[in-house]
Amino acid sequence: MIYQKMTIPPRSEHLWRYTPWPRIHPSSIDKVPDVDGVIFSLSEQHEMESVAHSTVAHDDIARAFLQSAGGSHNRLVVSEESEPIHIDARASGHIAVGHLHLDVKASGVVLIHLTGEPEWVGIHITGKIHPNTQLSFGFVNELGSNTKFLRCEDWIVERDAELEHATLSIGGFRCKSDLRTTLNGTGSTIRQSVTANAVGSRHDDEHVEIHHLHGHTNSDLVMNSACSGNSHFIATGLLTIAEGANKTDASQVFRNLLLSERARAEAIPELEVLADDVSAAHGAATAPVDQNQMHYLMSRGLSPDESKSLIVSGFLLNAFSNLSNKYLTQEMQTRLTVHLECELKR
Amino acid sequence: MSDETQEIIGDYRYGFHDPENSTIRFDKGLSEQVVRDISELKDEPQWMTDLRVKAFRHFAERVMPEWGNCDMLNTIDFENITYFLRSSNQTEKSWDEVPDDIKNTFDRLGIPEAEQKWLGGVTAQYESEAVYHSIREDLEEQGVIFLDMDSGLKQYPELVKKYFGTVIPHSDNKFSALNTAVWSGGSFLYIPKGVSVEMPVQAYFRINAKNMGQFERTLIIADEGSTVHYVEGCTAPSYSTDSLHSAVVELIAMEGAKIRYSTVQNWSSNVYNLVTKRAVAHKNATVEWVDGNIGSKLTMKYPSVLLKGEGAHAEVISVAYAGKGQHQDTGAKVHHLASNTTSNILSKSISKDGGRSSYRGLLQVTPKSTGCRSKVVCDALILDGDSRSDTYPTMEIGNSSSDLEHEASVSKVSSGQLFYLMSRGFTEDEAMGLIVNGFFEPFTRELPMEYAVELNKLLELEMEGSIG
Repeated sequence: MIYQKMTIPPRSEHLWRYTPWPRIHPSSIDKVPDVDGVIFSLSEQHEMESVAHSTVAHDDIARAFLQSAGGSHNRLVVSEESEPIHIDARASGHIAVGHLHLDVKASGVVLIHLTGEPEWVGIHITGKIHPNTQLSFGFVNELGSNTKFLRCEDWIVERDAELEHATLSIGGFRCKSDLRTTLNGTGSTIRQSVTANAVGSRHDDEHVEIHHLHGHTNSDLVMNSACSGNSHFIATGLLTIAEGANKTDASQVFRNLLLSERARAEAIPELEVLADDVSAAHGAATAPVDQNQMHYLMSRGLSPDESKSLIVSGFLLNAFSNLSNKYLTQEMQTRLTVHLECELKR
Repeated sequence: MSDETQEIIGDYRYGFHDPENSTIRFDKGLSEQVVRDISELKDEPQWMTDLRVKAFRHFAERVMPEWGNCDMLNTIDFENITYFLRSSNQTEKSWDEVPDDIKNTFDRLGIPEAEQKWLGGVTAQYESEAVYHSIREDLEEQGVIFLDMDSGLKQYPELVKKYFGTVIPHSDNKFSALNTAVWSGGSFLYIPKGVSVEMPVQAYFRINAKNMGQFERTLIIADEGSTVHYVEGCTAPSYSTDSLHSAVVELIAMEGAKIRYSTVQNWSSNVYNLVTKRAVAHKNATVEWVDGNIGSKLTMKYPSVLLKGEGAHAEVISVAYAGKGQHQDTGAKVHHLASNTTSNILSKSISKDGGRSSYRGLLQVTPKSTGCRSKVVCDALILDGDSRSDTYPTMEIGNSSSDLEHEASVSKVSSGQLFYLMSRGFTEDEAMGLIVNGFFEPFTRELPMEYAVELNKLLELEMEGSIG
């Protein structure tokens, strides 16, 4: 559907409850502004092709908007096993939009590092993981602290394929992510982790949907956030298990660490199960820093700030522990550690 | 009984209905005049008439909820419902004075027998109004007021005016507006300071007529340091056309008071059960909702507690059974509005024969509420591939010193447990029944014994033929 003809989603839709569309749109909501393209650059041994504007119709307003806005359109084919692929995504100008499609025909690792300081950035990533392949995918959002950020992802994981998906959200002042994965074949698996450090007045809304369309599919989602200042972190998850998708194993765990009196966190892990022979579970916990842990560290000579930062760091790093690819885990953990060290020095 | 009706009701044991002998019956449909007529008929004070009219206007303007099972909700035809039906000219204090046909109904439901054995007071509501009402003398002597709501308004107008609609205003939602406009019957219960009502008081709600709307209004006020256990049960006959039950229940627990409100809802599978239940708990008060939903076509019910005073506690235990064509959309909402408040929510649901059960919950901690603790556990069993189970929990945490946990799981009956029981000589059906009863045990152990036995029987009945 064309963006201008779409109705604005009401706040009763839980996807838009905490970050309504007018709050994330870059200008007045009936307009599609002129945009610059996000520049995706790769290491020399890999190639990315520029492709035509996609004409796929979207029911979702965010995706329809990004499609109408245009920007850069690229496609990366992973056709043979190779070294990990690092993509540097650079956003510049006033408003920047980028589209990237990943066609994964051989197992590999892809890491995207998004930087820049425009007023508004929109990214739409789509990907298809072909049968019997494995993709370890990492996304680091390190945009400037005045940038509004909209991110949509749509993944299709085919039979016996596996997607490992890690997000590190540490940039931008208002972020809205909508990450959707369809497990489209028997034996397909997704292991997903989202780690967010919400500081100052950062507003970070992370929505993850995982759809199990076939039996014998597996999903494991972990979302950890640390919220300080008067930041606001929202984690919403929708896990659906289709009729007949038996022997599915699905779990979601949301954990929020609240570090200041004015920080807020919402956790909404939803389940819709239409099959009977499944194992589906979710858990959510929100709490302050454990005083026993603080006491333990301080009794070993660490200052209260050092102790707290160590606990926060351990808590956030732990979100990547469900990933099996060591390279991806290490890369994400390193980026996070560097970020936390910079935070501590400020 | 027509084949169509038989198909709808299946094994529902309270599906019988009596010939309708109403003394006053309004035409179907709702208008401001109907609202005014109900109020005039009841000879209500002007403030209540005005409130009813205001609520009706709000109801007419307000759109239907855009969440939940909209397909089912939108099939409700508000113009095809009778909003008031009087079956007896007065509320009797003795069963002998209740009209025979109505008394027979309650005899078949076992109410008079239960009253003699283990209840402190009983209200029996048939269609729109209470037909029988009694309270034990010793409780009356201690100052306990237990009346049907219409009599409550007549005898204690100031007390009712002070609290009516303070917990659930008419503008809360479309169905609370509808209830406020056309309410009739329900219970009014006031427990004075320091009085502990040892035996439960019970209300029993029965819809008998076709296309009937029952809109009872219940207000319970437990004054400082008092305790009470209120039990309600619901049934209706089975017709091939639908009925609507839309109650509003307001509980007020003053400082140190304790209210437990238990419900076993067993409406027939053609009743829309759209109920708003909410409690306010003041300092150190406790409110417990024990909520069982077995019947109805669509139930949308989320018992809530506003923890307004420091140290207040909320406990919600709910079970739902969704069979063929049923959607049990239930849950709980707890708002931690004061510091050091605590809550526990336990929800269990079973879906079978294409039924759908949904848990929809909200746990909110406001920024100024420090040191709050809460735990939410949702377990769901799906017994076949046609059924569905959903969980929609929401946690809104605005304070860093609070500890909140939520956990949920959806699974099928363990074949290991079935095998174990069958190897001890149980049939597959019996084994399944035992496992289901065990699954609901945290709920049944909180019910009075007679209710627990009844619930187990109901579940066994529902579970018959569930294998294969």
